Amino acid sequence: MIRRFVVVLGLLSSVVLGCGPGAPTAEPLTKLTVGLGYIPHVQFAQFYRAQQQGYYRAAGLEVTFQHEADPNLITLIGQGAVDIGLADGTSVIPAVGQGITVRYVASIYARFPSIVMVAADSGITSADGLRGHTLGIPGQYGSSWIMLQALLASAGMTPSDISLQPFPEYGQEIALQQGIVDAATGFRNNEPVKLALQGFPTTILDIDSITPLPGPGLTVGEATLASKRDAIRAFVAATLRAMTEVGADPEAGLDDAIAVVPELGADRATQLAILRATIEMWHSPNTDAHGLGAIDSAGWAQSLDFMRGLPGSNIPATLTADQLVTTEVLP
Amino acid sequence: MSRSFVIDGRQVTVLDDVSFDVPATGITAVLGPNGSGKSTLLRLVAGLLTPDAGTIEIDGAAVADADQRVGLVFQEPRLLPWRTAIENVAFPLELAGVGAAVRREHARALLDLVGLAAFERAYPHQLSGGMRQRAAIARALARDPQILLLDEPFSALDALTRERFNAELLEIWQRTGTTILIVTHSIAEAVFLADEVVVLTARPGRVAARVAVPLGRPRLADALDSAAFSRAAATIRAHLGGSPADIAAQEAAAAPVHDVLERAGAPAWFDPFGAGPSR
Amino acid sequence: MRLRGTVLPVIAAGSVFVLAWKLIVIVGNYPQFILPAPEVVARRFVDAWLDGTMAPHAWATLSEIGLGFSVGATLAVGFGYVLARSRLAERLLSPYLVAAQATPVLVLAPLLVLWLGTGLLPKVVICALIVFFPVAVSTMVGIRAVDRRLLELGRSLRATHWQVLRHLELPAALPQILGGMRVGVTLAVIGAIVGEWAGADRGLGVLINIARGSMFDFPLMFATLATIAAIAVALYLVVVLVERALVGAWR
Repeated sequence: MIRRFVVVLGLLSSVVLGCGPGAPTAEPLTKLTVGLGYIPHVQFAQFYRAQQQGYYRAAGLEVTFQHEADPNLITLIGQGAVDIGLADGTSVIPAVGQGITVRYVASIYARFPSIVMVAADSGITSADGLRGHTLGIPGQYGSSWIMLQALLASAGMTPSDISLQPFPEYGQEIALQQGIVDAATGFRNNEPVKLALQGFPTTILDIDSITPLPGPGLTVGEATLASKRDAIRAFVAATLRAMTEVGADPEAGLDDAIAVVPELGADRATQLAILRATIEMWHSPNTDAHGLGAIDSAGWAQSLDFMRGLPGSNIPATLTADQLVTTEVLP
Repeated sequence: MSRSFVIDGRQVTVLDDVSFDVPATGITAVLGPNGSGKSTLLRLVAGLLTPDAGTIEIDGAAVADADQRVGLVFQEPRLLPWRTAIENVAFPLELAGVGAAVRREHARALLDLVGLAAFERAYPHQLSGGMRQRAAIARALARDPQILLLDEPFSALDALTRERFNAELLEIWQRTGTTILIVTHSIAEAVFLADEVVVLTARPGRVAARVAVPLGRPRLADALDSAAFSRAAATIRAHLGGSPADIAAQEAAAAPVHDVLERAGAPAWFDPFGAGPSR
Repeated sequence: MRLRGTVLPVIAAGSVFVLAWKLIVIVGNYPQFILPAPEVVARRFVDAWLDGTMAPHAWATLSEIGLGFSVGATLAVGFGYVLARSRLAERLLSPYLVAAQATPVLVLAPLLVLWLGTGLLPKVVICALIVFFPVAVSTMVGIRAVDRRLLELGRSLRATHWQVLRHLELPAALPQILGGMRVGVTLAVIGAIVGEWAGADRGLGVLINIARGSMFDFPLMFATLATIAAIAVALYLVVVLVERALVGAWR
């Protein structure tokens, strides 16, 4: 009887003592839902690294990743269902114009990833060479469409000067390889890399020197920005730190990515090539000067004017670049 | 001739050694209880079935498959619901390839004959049961048949209307002079209409008697009450006989045969493994 | 006269729907990109038609539906007839018919675009496929249900197979067949949109994508949905009117 009493008392004490100030108590972690692109991909290696290495947790954040296609993502961010996401800069402009309350807070892709690719032996080396050819594109929307119009405009052309072939999503590679189309839109760190590894070199036509269109970057809803500003700032800092480290050691970044997304381990060589191509696009003259994640406000203003001038544009004349971006959470 | 069917695996003799003549331009009635093979008999004469044994001839020539010398009036009017009365009556002519104007004229005349001249553009659902049956009779006469076969045509009508239709049928017969073979289970109807009544017994159907009707023509409604009428009716009734139990058994046995007859009437199709009509 | 009996309730129901919608928007205080108010959608709808945004896409989708339905329904009636009259055919083919129906069109559509390109053809094929099953089944049922006594009548009049089909079987089965076509025509609308989503540069499905993904113009997206619904209702009414004309007189 007495022995039982002692045992129970002992148990109770250890429980009470275990909850005492002696045990390390954590600040409640701020939960953040982070929207990344369509599917888990090695291009998000910096996020996986920050998650895997505990940078988010150390910053007091509990991060959950969610995968969404771009138009949905921006709407979800605006609603607040997703706290922060990697959204196309060229989607932020019309979205804000239509009253969706989001802000671009950090560049991830400092160079515009959407490009036009042609077979290396096609003899086409510039936008002008596309005249009269067939070009595969998922549809007349999204960043590829904006990029295409900018590219063609630089050679004095419009989309009616080429033959557009609407192609099922993600079929651009096959279309180009099979010769079904002469050219196709794609992402610099995706199709051309894979095609090169398959022995099909391509020539890239990009708009880097034409129009400074904003690439994908971290975007936050206005309401979330107001209520979780410190958490957002911490998230951005941790992510930029991971980017620097992955840039210095891509192999380590790939390891972290595989730890979070095991399927990526199936073909290390290809994934590494894609990651290296991705890392290249995190850098631009602007980030070299102002650090990773820096936003090119002048470039944004130019892009805004460009998009406003496109046929069928519904971007209001009163929209300005400072309604689209903010540097307040950048380090 | 004789005819049997296979029903549920058993051979059922429906008509056994039935033989009689039908005089041209006359009216012959075939009378019998349910199960005496009356409907089968009619289809044999029409050429929709072939006898197992024996022959059927019209005017010396054997009956062909769906012989067009025969006009058929079924128990139900069987009008096409999506056609007007005149289009229904013209239907046999249309199938035979007769031109539109000609067949309209002919159909119009026939509708007039049966008293439906005012209803040529009515649809069957707008007509009463009796009117529909009249249209069916008109249709059966469309191809100027040598013999008009009627299968209990008025059994769906009430008794009073039936008497009137019997009188009208006689009028039509007087105007067209077509040979008529009518199947009925009403003694009164048989005696009123026919020159001779062939009495059949139940399964198997056999000719029990051939009773001549000694009434003169034209027959008017008061003939129904004459002594000669009653005598003829009595003679026929005597030949029919049978206890209520027999009659009930006969009726029970009649239904499957009707089902087989209906299927036998459907067009044969590509059906090598299916359950085709019983032979 | 009959029209007034049907039109008034429809308008009444529609008004209730619109009012409920407006109420939800006010109470929920939804921003335009979640649920635009009905008057905003209505204005965008009118503007889209007036400035020529909607019309070319609507016409493209209508042609896909029209061609697809015609092809699919015609083949289905023939197929249904064969199934109705031949037990062998039914035994051989109906499992495949059912399996084809069970495969979601959403899955087949990208494959068809891969094989047939992104022009009109794959959309017509998709619409034809989606229309096939309801019309084939309703034809089969309708033909089978033709009164045997009418067929005996046909035989007694020495009707040829073709005459039986044309004068007896088809008219008798017409109500059933048209019933199947009512279902088929509304499904064809879905088929056209799904086909466009699998790869197209024109059509109401494409316009939805552009409105949503490129212009973030949600009122336009809703207005496009309204157009699609209107097309479906209109096509359904066409079949109803055809039915009334062909079958109404004798029913």
